[in-house]
Amino acid sequence: MAQKTPEIYSVELSGTEDVGKTDTGDGKEKYRGLKDKRLELKKNHQKEELKKEVDLEDHKLSIKELERKYGTNIVTGLSSTQAAELLARNGPNALTPPKETPEIVKFLKQMVGGFSILLWIGAILCWIAYGIQYFNDKSSSLDSVYLGCVLALVVILTGIFAYYQEAKSTNIMASFSKMIPQQALVIRDSEKKTIPADIRLLSTQGCKVDNSSLTGESEPQSRSCEFTHDNPLETKNIGFYSTTCLEGTATGMVINTGDRTIIGQIASLASGVGHEKTPIAIEIEHFVHIVAGVAVSIGILFFIIAVSMKYYVLDSIIFLIGIIVANVPEGLLATVTVTLSLTAKRMAKKNCLVKNLEAVETLGSTSIICSDKTGTLTQNRMTVAHLWFDNQIFVADTSEDHSNQVFDQSSGTWASLSKIITLCNRAEFRPGQESVPIMKKVVVGDASETALLKFSEVILGDVMEIRKRNRKVAEIPFNSTNKFQLSIHETDDPSDKRFLMVMKGAPERVLEKCSTIMVNGQEQPLDDSTAEAFHTAYMELGGLGERVLGFCHLYLPADKFPETYSFDVDTVNFPTSNLCFVGLLSMIDPPRSTVPDAVTKCRSAGIKVIMVTGDHPITAKAIAKSVGIISANSETVEDIAKRLNIPVEQVSKRDAKAAVVTGMELKDMSPEQLDELLTDYSEIVFARTSPQQKLIIVEGCQRQDAVVAVTGDGVNDSPALKKADIGIAMGIAGSDAAKNAADMVLLDDNFASIVTGVEEGRLIFDNLKKTIAYTLTKNIAELCPFLIYIIAGLPLPIGTITILFIDLGTDIIPSIALAYEKAESDIMNRKPRHKKKDRLVNAPLAIYSYLHIGLMQALGAFVVYFTVYAQEGFRPSALINLRVEWEKDSVNDLEDSYGQEWTQYQRKYLEWTGYTAFFVGIMIQQIADLIIRKTRRNSIFQQGLFRNKVIWVGIASQIIIALILSYGLGSVSALNFTMLRPQYWFVAVPHAILIWVYDEVRKLFIRLYPGSWWDKNMYY
Amino acid sequence: MSQAEGRVITSGPAVFPEGCGRVLYSSPHALGAVSFILLFYLVFYGFLTAMFTLTMWVMLQTVSDHTPKYQDRLATPGLMIRPKTENLDVIVNVSDTESWDQHVQKLNKFLEPYNDSIQAQKNDVCRPGRYYEQPDNGVLNYPKRACQFNRTQLGDCSGIGDPTHYGYSTGQPCVFIKMNRVINFYAGANQSMNVTCVGKRDEDAENLGSFVMFPANGNIDLMYFPYYGKKFHVNYTQPLVAVKFLNVTPNVEVNVECRINAANIATDDERDKFAGRVAFKLRINKT
Repeated sequence: MAQKTPEIYSVELSGTEDVGKTDTGDGKEKYRGLKDKRLELKKNHQKEELKKEVDLEDHKLSIKELERKYGTNIVTGLSSTQAAELLARNGPNALTPPKETPEIVKFLKQMVGGFSILLWIGAILCWIAYGIQYFNDKSSSLDSVYLGCVLALVVILTGIFAYYQEAKSTNIMASFSKMIPQQALVIRDSEKKTIPADIRLLSTQGCKVDNSSLTGESEPQSRSCEFTHDNPLETKNIGFYSTTCLEGTATGMVINTGDRTIIGQIASLASGVGHEKTPIAIEIEHFVHIVAGVAVSIGILFFIIAVSMKYYVLDSIIFLIGIIVANVPEGLLATVTVTLSLTAKRMAKKNCLVKNLEAVETLGSTSIICSDKTGTLTQNRMTVAHLWFDNQIFVADTSEDHSNQVFDQSSGTWASLSKIITLCNRAEFRPGQESVPIMKKVVVGDASETALLKFSEVILGDVMEIRKRNRKVAEIPFNSTNKFQLSIHETDDPSDKRFLMVMKGAPERVLEKCSTIMVNGQEQPLDDSTAEAFHTAYMELGGLGERVLGFCHLYLPADKFPETYSFDVDTVNFPTSNLCFVGLLSMIDPPRSTVPDAVTKCRSAGIKVIMVTGDHPITAKAIAKSVGIISANSETVEDIAKRLNIPVEQVSKRDAKAAVVTGMELKDMSPEQLDELLTDYSEIVFARTSPQQKLIIVEGCQRQDAVVAVTGDGVNDSPALKKADIGIAMGIAGSDAAKNAADMVLLDDNFASIVTGVEEGRLIFDNLKKTIAYTLTKNIAELCPFLIYIIAGLPLPIGTITILFIDLGTDIIPSIALAYEKAESDIMNRKPRHKKKDRLVNAPLAIYSYLHIGLMQALGAFVVYFTVYAQEGFRPSALINLRVEWEKDSVNDLEDSYGQEWTQYQRKYLEWTGYTAFFVGIMIQQIADLIIRKTRRNSIFQQGLFRNKVIWVGIASQIIIALILSYGLGSVSALNFTMLRPQYWFVAVPHAILIWVYDEVRKLFIRLYPGSWWDKNMYY
Repeated sequence: MSQAEGRVITSGPAVFPEGCGRVLYSSPHALGAVSFILLFYLVFYGFLTAMFTLTMWVMLQTVSDHTPKYQDRLATPGLMIRPKTENLDVIVNVSDTESWDQHVQKLNKFLEPYNDSIQAQKNDVCRPGRYYEQPDNGVLNYPKRACQFNRTQLGDCSGIGDPTHYGYSTGQPCVFIKMNRVINFYAGANQSMNVTCVGKRDEDAENLGSFVMFPANGNIDLMYFPYYGKKFHVNYTQPLVAVKFLNVTPNVEVNVECRINAANIATDDERDKFAGRVAFKLRINKT
């Protein structure tokens, strides 16, 4: 059934297209009755399970055994009934998508999370209070029912809002994940085929597969029928689901489909690795606990006080509700969500797509980044890096556009070398890309040839035209036994009738075939000294981790090979020795130009960058050095040994800052040794690592209390991505499994975007602190009225509904505005926060907000309140212990300080005016609070009062909302607002100014005496 | 981390994050730090108290002793009844002395200042039918005189030498209507005014029966206005209207509404049920 097609880049894997359908089961696809086993596996979603190597035996079996095992015949295949039966048993050949939490569960979670429980309690208490009231007096007012409903409404609305926000960010991701794979399919896989299931290969012809998504190896792997390795991932006779076949053809037998494939196993095991709580989620929980703790303890304390002051239990319950409502910053969690999503949007603009909103901050607290090499740090394409000719090494430009090739191109040797590069190359641009920049053009051919084609196209111009002028008459393609590629061309010089034979290949094999070498355009005999020079250059380039190719040519004498000569590549009727060696070219997957700078920034931001790659240690180290993961002046133990010429064992480990550890070495390490390694070396490269080892490395880092970011693109990375505190997947090169497991996707696959993310993450953490400090402050101003009301018996200074209008009205936009605040100092020059020590809400923040600014605010608001009452006839002294008479409905002739008498409604209206006054008092001082929260250390004048325009939008919104409430809705009695006389709006201004001045003084002392008692207690 | 610090964290106050404990106790000179912090808060709160007191003082300077700065809320004075009861209901069990004795006690006390002897001793005899205006005449806050309202003006409801205890013992109770004091309020706008009472609904009117008012017609004289405030109008005596219900249907709850008929007092405020009027329940229980 293997249909061999002349199209060499295509592969036909017989019958496999039809695996998903029942009636066309014509081939040898066999299903394996692994269902029970898989179920078992699914149950044991243990990490230990993950760390074990993948379990597969089929590659060890002979074809006969396979036939027996799957009850099939390799020639006739399964009967269609058998196939249908197997399909029914094992399901279609598709990966089960990761389990989604049902929407309703997500929604309900929002309804009970955070402060919602407290507010529900408040609402239920309201209804209970009404129940008791109603039981005693059927005509009792419905006020507490309304309040209960309002509280419930607040919970439901904020819940819906949070749910909506989350759903929105999930939707962005969903639409995104639909988009990217299509792109990948069109561009990347256009000439390749994806293997549709795990296949045991039965016959192959020059088959090469790209296993990079599974193993991380960027080099194509050849496939054959032989069993070559115990490890199924390494053996050559298995083709894996979702990997791509790059060239050649192969026929095989399907041994696993869908979730039972190796990739399916990794993907589903990855989904079993539990997502840890994000650092910001922990911080918010911590903060909720503090606030709820304060609310509940003050509430219960005053409930007891109220009861022992002989208040009715019913009244005490209502006080309790007031205290809870005053203490809970109802709007804060919604604000935090908005703030995070604003940052997420900002990051998305900079190509960091955040899947999980909370991950926005995680990146900011990251202390270790475990970065994959290929595609993240590097450009993920082979590029010519160095040239060696005329006994000299030249450096080629490896930047993304190759625009700056400065090496000496005047030598005759270069002319010959460039001709070989151009002609001895089978890669071609796909047609129809004339307008595309060279570096972006799609090429048909392998990585090295693509690199050479683009290199020559940039320097020489239209390569296809040159090839046309130098018609190819014969060709021996590259194969692994020859290790060279050869072609024979007519020359473009009409007077020269000779044929030109060009060859490229492994340098040592090419040199073997040469007897002369070209220096400065002149052919010279190849003597020992030139051979020595060649070896030195070869070793040097190889030591840089680069793939080196040798180039040579020979003009075939015209007399022996006339124009009509017929070349036969099978009998090789032409010389393949005594050629003229021209030069070496070395290629590497070069680092992205932005990476070294980004790594330096990470360094100065106190973030350790660890490279974890499946690639060879030499290449890994070379790239690590060139991007600065291993800095220029640090050495590994091996480097020191080499320099001092002593055995590795004698080198003191303390001298080495850097370490290159291979997977083999890691395998033998105990967790303690790994911990030691991670703490002892500041610059670490892990090479040749397996997916399981990536997980071990991540866990090792997390044991150091580090917040670990992992970047990766392959399916093999997905467990580590999930395990990491923040998994970062590559948007272009990344596999779906990686993107699913990740919290963040880099749309441009660019490591530098991570630095942007770190910066945004740190900024958002700082700004959230400010937002929370701002929001918490007024809680005291809202709480004190209740306490005073209970203890001193003043008419209630502020109502519960009014409090809600502050928390969910005037304060919302200002607290979001703080998210737009610029950083106070260079946040990228400080260490990442310690996730257990540097809390979002710490003691100084709580104390300063509650006991300093909050108290000042409360006093200021009380001044406004007393002013309103005094000017209407009730002097402060008259108000004390007035509560009982004041609230009695039947008292309609309550005497004020002047002997005037007030009806109940007249008092009620004055009480509402008091609410409005207190509300305005808080609002005016919250403006000052907003301004002082712009900075935590610097003076406001250093920060710039007008730099953050959104703050002013916030202030305007505060004032406008308050004006609307007072003058617009002042007549709606249910809202308890009244039209306040204009002058009362200014009563709290002196207190607002005091707040500002006090905070400036605080900041001044912090700046003047860093590390002092003041600094420690007043800096939040 | 020192052991001491770890201990403090676990035993620190529950409501504050763990750092709180550290601030207070972890310093090597723990006692010094604590007293320093106490000192700081002493000074800080002392300062805040001073600041608050200052602003309050400044604010109180804007308030005059004479009249409140604003009286916008009191444009319409309310009406109220005596005896003052918890739910504005006057319930009289004729046979049960205790049920009405409390009302009687209250009324006795309430009417004491109206005794003719006291009135004669303290207050002026004013000319009826016109306001008793007492301008300062250049002397700031000159003490004001009040007009006499003699208890005897209340006729059968004066309770003087009354064996029926304002009618409570016979099931013909007196209820006193008074209008709320409002400084500088010229009630009636120079026209005479009076209080009228009706049953709230038709059946109430039926059950209410007849009643008499003292002074006659429920008149309130203009001479009791304006009021100059309790500080300068020390012996001010509020005019009263007494209503004696003569034959209320017994054992039925009767809703009574009294309102003042005055040119500048609206009695139809939707929200303030006591603006220029008063509603109360009357129930005479007889066996």
